[in-house]
Order: sequence, then C-alpha cells, then structure tokens
Amino acid sequence: MKEILRIQGLSAGYGPLGVLHGVNLTVHAGERVGLVGLNGHGKSTLLRAIVGLTGWQSGSIRLRDQEIGGTRSQGPGRYTHRIVRLGLALMPQGDAIFHGLTVADHLDSGAFTRRAWRERMARRDRVLDIFPPLRALLKAPVGKLSGGERRMVSLARGLMADSSLFLIDEPSLGLAPKISKGLIEALTQIPLDDGAMIIAEQNLSLLEGYVTRLVGMHGGKLKGGGDALSAVALGAPH
Amino acid sequence: MDNDLYYVALTAITLASIYGLLALGISIIWSSLGMINMAHGFTFAAAGFGGWLMAQHLTQNGAAVILAGMLTGALIGVLIGAVAFIPLYDKPNFPLRSLIATLAISLLGAQALLWVFGPRVKALPKVFGQENFQFGSAVVSADKLGVIGTSVLVLLATLIWARRSRRGLEIRAMMQNPEGAALVGIGLRSTAMSIMAVTGALAGLAAILLAQTYYVSPYAGLTPLLKGMIVALAGGLGSIPGALIAAVLVGLVEALTAVTLGGQYVLITQFGFIIVVLLIRPRGIAGILEQTRE
Repeated sequence: MKEILRIQGLSAGYGPLGVLHGVNLTVHAGERVGLVGLNGHGKSTLLRAIVGLTGWQSGSIRLRDQEIGGTRSQGPGRYTHRIVRLGLALMPQGDAIFHGLTVADHLDSGAFTRRAWRERMARRDRVLDIFPPLRALLKAPVGKLSGGERRMVSLARGLMADSSLFLIDEPSLGLAPKISKGLIEALTQIPLDDGAMIIAEQNLSLLEGYVTRLVGMHGGKLKGGGDALSAVALGAPH
Repeated sequence: MDNDLYYVALTAITLASIYGLLALGISIIWSSLGMINMAHGFTFAAAGFGGWLMAQHLTQNGAAVILAGMLTGALIGVLIGAVAFIPLYDKPNFPLRSLIATLAISLLGAQALLWVFGPRVKALPKVFGQENFQFGSAVVSADKLGVIGTSVLVLLATLIWARRSRRGLEIRAMMQNPEGAALVGIGLRSTAMSIMAVTGALAGLAAILLAQTYYVSPYAGLTPLLKGMIVALAGGLGSIPGALIAAVLVGLVEALTAVTLGGQYVLITQFGFIIVVLLIRPRGIAGILEQTRE
C-alpha cells in the first residue's frame, strides 16, 4: 500500500518543555487512524508538529516522499501554509475559526489552490452534502453558531481544498455525545480515495467501528511504536 | 451662528475622512499583523514628500500627485513590513519587539527626510483647484469637497475589495485568527506585505489630502500618527466600522474645540475624549457595536 505519511524520530515541544519524545508513525493510503490517549500526553502536539505549529521540533516527517519536518528551534507557523498546501488539512482543537466571517467566507478561505478557488461553488455544494445543517447558515457569522456547528464549519473548511491527509484533533471536545457521534459518522463519509485520516480522540468508545487502526499515545511516545495495536490492549488502564 | 454650525460640520467631516484613512490602516495592521505601527507617521510624511517630488519635477497634475503619494506610501509600508515584521513575527515577544522596531524606523525615517529634504517646509499644489462652490447660502471650497470625495471613494473601494476579492478574504481571515489563516494555507508573510502596501497607500492619500491645508515637513507625520492612534483606539483596535465612526467623532471634537476654545486646545480635548471613551468602553466603540448586535 502506498505510504502517505512517515514520521521518524520526531521530538517536539514548546520552550523548555518537551512533549514528544522520538515518535515513529507510518500511515498508508486508505487508512483511518485513531490516535488515542489521555489528555496532556501529546496527541495534539503530534498533529501540530506535522504542520509545523509547535515551538520547536526535530526529526523527519515525510509527506508522500517530501520532507516537511526537520529541525527547528523557533518560528512556529512559519512554514505552516506551505505544508498545508501540499495537501494536508488540520482541523485543530478550538477550531481556529474566524469569528466575524460568515460560513460561506470560511468555506471559500479553505479553497486556497487556484483550481479549488475557481471551483469553489461546486465544492461548497459537495461539502454541504456532508454537513447539511450548514446549508441554512451560509450567511451567518461563525461567532454566533453553536459549538457543534462551529466544529462542522472547521471540518468543512478543511474539505474545500484538495487535501489527501486529514488530521482531526478531538472532534468530540465540548460537544454533546449525540452530536459527537454524528460528527464522527460524517467524518467517515468523507471519501479518502488516495488519502488518509488521523483522528485524535480521548474517548476510545467513540471511534469503535469507525477507524481502521488504533494507535495509543502515552507520555509523548506511541505505544507499540505506532504499529497496529488492538483496541483491547489500549482499553486497559496503564 | 448658523454659519458656525455649518463650518464645524464641514471641518469635522473633512478631518474625519483624513483621520479615518490613517486609523483604518493602524487598526488593520494591529489586528492582522499584531503590530502597533509607530512608523505609520513616517509613511505619512514620506508620502507627502513623494507627492512634492512629483509636483516639483514631473507634473502638477492633481491625480498624478495623489498617485505619487499613494505609491510612496505603499512602498514605505512594504519597507516597514520587511524590516519590522518579516524577521520578527515568529519570535517571542513580537508585539514589544515590533513596537520598538517601528519606533526606531519612525525616528530614523524622520531624520533621513530631514537630511535629504532639509528642514524647510514644502507646499503641495492645490490638487483640487481653487474654486468655491455655492450651495444655497453655504460655500464649500473645492479642496474640502475634494478631500471628502476622494477619501470616501478610496475607503469604499478598499472595503469592497476586502469583501469581494480573494486577497481581501485572506486579509480578513488573518485579522480574525492568524493561526487559523496559516492552517487554511494563507501565507502570513505575503498577506502581511499586501496589508502593509494597502495601508501605506491609504496613509499616503491622507498625507496628500492633509497637505491641502498644512505644509509637508519631515516631522509632519507625528500629529497625524497621534490622531490616527486616538481614532483607532476609540474605535476599538481591529474594527473597521468602529474606526470609521470614531473618525467622525474625533473630527467633530477637533472642529468643535477649534471653534469654541481655540486650535491650541485640540490635542487636550482629543486626549480627554479618548480617556472618557476608554473609561466607559475599554474596547472602544466596537465594544458597543458588538453589544447591540447580540
């Protein structure tokens, strides 16, 4: 199977604080990987390191044979837009939305490649089919939406471009269980084709049946070195 | 008395349109780049000299002088961005560092202008002509009409551009959430440069417009910078409608003070005004706007 992402020896953190310690992870095309672990053990930092948003990092991150990692001691976010343009979408915790802009503006802002911008109307339609509730809210400023709707906007925005690797950070955070379930279901409807998806989630039970593989994170390291792990082993308390 | 009132209103709107151009720039730069641009006044002064060079050496044509001012402003804006934003923005303590950097540019710039052009003030040609227009019993001079017309036109064009174009969308996204903007593939550096160019051009226009009443000099940017800051703060940093409303209010305060107390008290009343606004509404007029919207 084709390799989408290969992370080797990735360490990262913020200032004096080290969060990740030598993480190795390989993701192949067609996979939906569930990244599970307790709060504060580095799930978000791993996803942020992939797009270059940590304070510092070292180690190799290859996205389809292109190196996007490397050693960096400063400048969080300096290369993020270039990495994202290679076909990567991160839906971060807190959604990183633009409060004053409308839902339509958000969707358009996700269409950053030339082709995506030209086709943005057609793409809007396609994305709205995945998140039907947004259709009625196109003209509403996102600051006025509910938490679940904001999460949908953040996800929908990530789907506007030609991304092939989706990184989704805690889709259930702060949402009612029923809404979380619906969101996860919507996520699994996104066609992956040649791409892959990593979903970081604390709530293991939410992911059951929706991901092809689970990876555990503990103390800034991946359990079992990032290879397939059984959900049973992960479910056991450490 | 009737005439006085009319004079106050006209002066207020004229001043408001000039301060609005400056404040909008300061406000946009603050909310998108996270930088308090102390060198905005230098952009203003340099743009005045740009217009003067055009009038002195090439043509006295009004449109050409305005264009020269705006181009100079855009150029200086980009220069400030290249020196104070690009190398610093991802370093710790960026707001403080950039404040110091832009302050340094402002001081260096004023000295450079003094060195190149000398201390003597320069007069710009009347780009809108000298005529007076009669509306009923009221008289409007061409330059007041031109100042108001031009700035309203340019402000409208800028706002429509920001709302309709892709670059505008990128700028609005960056004003709201720079990290989110980076995550959707918006290049912060290139967007910052276009912001500096556009806001510089607005400051350049303000310089040419104010030079219809005042002279161009190396330190001409200081007072407009202060007033632009007052307007931007009173409007609520980062809010475009807030800045425009505050511009009208501050213009009104200035015009009223000039008529009732005398011109030398203008800065005092304006600072008093901003203190009162910030005491009641720490987030400026935009705070009120958002309150009523909810």
